[in-house]
Amino acid sequence: MNKTPHRKKTLLIVAAALLLTAAAVAGVLLFSGVFQPKQTNAQGVVGVVTDNWDPGIDEKDKPKQSGTQIPGYSSAQMKAGDKTLKINIGNPKENKVGMFASVKLSDGTVLYESPLLKPGQGVTEVPLNKTLEKGTYDAYVEYQCVLLDEKNTPLNAAQSGFKLMVE
Amino acid sequence: MKARKILSLALAAMMAAAAVVSVSAAELTESNSNGQTEVKAHIDGGVPGDVSYIITIPDTVDFETLAVPENNTDDHNKDVTYTVTMTKLVGLDPAEKVVNVYVKDQNAVVGSVEQFYIANKSNADVKFAYDVYTATGANVNMSTNVNFNTMETNGFFLTGFSEQGQSLTGTLRFDLNQLYGESLARIAGDYSGYMVFFSAIEDVQ
Repeated sequence: MNKTPHRKKTLLIVAAALLLTAAAVAGVLLFSGVFQPKQTNAQGVVGVVTDNWDPGIDEKDKPKQSGTQIPGYSSAQMKAGDKTLKINIGNPKENKVGMFASVKLSDGTVLYESPLLKPGQGVTEVPLNKTLEKGTYDAYVEYQCVLLDEKNTPLNAAQSGFKLMVE
Repeated sequence: MKARKILSLALAAMMAAAAVVSVSAAELTESNSNGQTEVKAHIDGGVPGDVSYIITIPDTVDFETLAVPENNTDDHNKDVTYTVTMTKLVGLDPAEKVVNVYVKDQNAVVGSVEQFYIANKSNADVKFAYDVYTATGANVNMSTNVNFNTMETNGFFLTGFSEQGQSLTGTLRFDLNQLYGESLARIAGDYSGYMVFFSAIEDVQ
């Protein structure tokens, strides 16, 4: 006579447990990177441009200012023959303009050119147009600022110099 | 009894899932640890490839309407100000290193074309020079004229920053007298010019 209510209670407990398990598994997948961040359609351009680019430095006490924020670097490292370079290139989310970023050597050799980076977009590893031999090179990231209009009207530009160490 | 068995299996599955979460967290910690190792090897401005500083530059500077003066015997200048700021700076030893900022015209070439110009958007051959100063107001003079100095490959030296929050407010000066006597039919129109700001971590001199 009491079997039916008891079975219902058991089923409810099992259902709740399964729900919690599913939530935990979803959490695991999220942390393990199965769900990748949203990517822009960078057609024709090698490299992964991601939204929510983070310059990687503490921003909590950064004052609000007019003008355009430009990231700067001290150095970058890679191995001779590497076809990619780890460097944190992006358009800080505080900006109101777009940017085309490129990595160049001081002799003008272009190693990488980005698609249009809107505020908050960036790359952390760029594919290179050519490999480099061992040595230390003077290099820079050029940020060409543009209006976010149909023509991408040019604005002032900035170049962030750094030492590129190829080991 | 059967219900208890099912309940036990479900709880065991939950605990297994929680254990995987902990492993993921441990992997993240390990990755961060590698990053700290790289910091130790490069104390002069941050981890290689990471952002070491952020400067803020003017995205545009507008002289607005430039009027032809009545004479060219008096001074007729149109001044606008600009500001460059060290917005964020990490890992720099100010006794050893400084972030130097240089500026040049977009078309500048060392040894030949070194001045700053704005050009007519319809006819780039019609262009006029302007000067860059590191001061404002009464301090705008030859001693603060940036492009009076020698231009280096990366531009004219503008300023050096060693601490976060430092800024430079300067002046762009257009000498209206260069318009005197020009045919309005030739020079009328919209003008634009672009500045290039170069920055780099360098040794303190």
